[in-house]
Amino acid sequence: MSRKTLDLTLAYLRSLDRTASAHDVAALLRTVLDRYGVEHMLAGTIPDPGTPPGRQYGHALLDGMPTEWIRRYAMRGYLFRDATVRHMAFSQEPFAWTDIAARYKDDPISVRVMHEAGEFGIRAGVTIPLMTLDAKLAGASFSGRHMEVPPEDVGTLQLIATYAFAQLLLLQGTAAKAPIRLTSREREVLQWAADGKTAWEIGEILGISQKGVEHHLGTSRRKLGALNGVQAVATALRMGLIA
Amino acid sequence: MIHVVDAANISQYRHEMEEVWRLRHKVFVEEKGWTDLAKPDGREIDQFDTPEAVHLLVMEGGKVIGYSRLLPTTRPHLLSEVFPHLCEGDLPRGPRIWEWTRQAVAPAHRARGTSRLVTVRLMAGIVEWGMAHGVTSLVTMMPLMYLLPFLDTHFRAIPLGLPTVIDGERTIAVRAEFDTRTLKRLRAMRGDATPVLATPMVSEHAA
Repeated sequence: MSRKTLDLTLAYLRSLDRTASAHDVAALLRTVLDRYGVEHMLAGTIPDPGTPPGRQYGHALLDGMPTEWIRRYAMRGYLFRDATVRHMAFSQEPFAWTDIAARYKDDPISVRVMHEAGEFGIRAGVTIPLMTLDAKLAGASFSGRHMEVPPEDVGTLQLIATYAFAQLLLLQGTAAKAPIRLTSREREVLQWAADGKTAWEIGEILGISQKGVEHHLGTSRRKLGALNGVQAVATALRMGLIA
Repeated sequence: MIHVVDAANISQYRHEMEEVWRLRHKVFVEEKGWTDLAKPDGREIDQFDTPEAVHLLVMEGGKVIGYSRLLPTTRPHLLSEVFPHLCEGDLPRGPRIWEWTRQAVAPAHRARGTSRLVTVRLMAGIVEWGMAHGVTSLVTMMPLMYLLPFLDTHFRAIPLGLPTVIDGERTIAVRAEFDTRTLKRLRAMRGDATPVLATPMVSEHAA
């Protein structure tokens, strides 16, 4: 059994070597982890407590969560109340969400986060705490409606997540080398977006129209290769184009 | 600076090697609880500390603050003798493959961030030593938790088996190749492109 599992893991590592973007890594993980019922995933470093919502997303290296859920999660400041995030401060061991939920039942917000996640099909999951070289807490979470990992496979899942994370760091390093130039207007607009301002609010602050703001967001999004505004802010933060 | 101690110069490092055995006892027996290695005299020396072993000593202010051991895989080593069950299939062996074990940092140098610096220096030392001696890869075992930082130093590590629980920790054996890219990465992490290995100066230790 285990020889076969090792061979599968090595085949996964060869595929991982050929990935060129976070999107590729997510697609590969979906294939490899399909057998556990994985539908959603998220990987990144854990922001320091108090990090404003607009900046929290910048810590994500891989976002495979429902967009609407991520938006609500950020807007309502769920990150630091989420039991699966809070638990990482106590344990470096992978854990199934069902095994830790009871410990946070006294925090109504924790309970609400879990309940609302369920409405987005995020009912069961496993979190793999990781540690970066500069001792920052990081992690990967895998979830779905009926996700389950047999205990004997947890080590392999941890191994798979570790290699995926290392590849995401490598890809991020490579991406940082291609210079991207934003205009000062684009930087300003993204900077305010990072602080959670809407296009209308940014327009008021900068004294330009909402349409103008949307235009600058659109051009910076294309330059950054981002699918949406949240991702554009995240990428710009990561690349140090905004602070 | 990192000093490389082997059969040719170990007699000049008597005092420093005493510190090494005690540091190893403190880290592996007293802290990690590997009681099999406990010694009444507090000097952790095992059957692999032969003249074939290469010791890397991080020295600061005349003290040993970090340590790693390299063993040739052409001779008995930990993975071949003690932990063969961590590897499926044949163990990679040969003159270009050495085993890295007993990675230790003195407690006083472990404050958040600084332990990493000593470790990064040791890894740079291993790569510098390896490149000078025609060594292209290491075999080693580590808690699974340490695999991500290890990969982040651009060692290309391939598992030799699936994670196995040893002393309550998921542990993995890997073969890890390295080259100039690894060295470049480690130097960038140190923020210093100068070599970490000291040129052995006999006069300094002759007394």
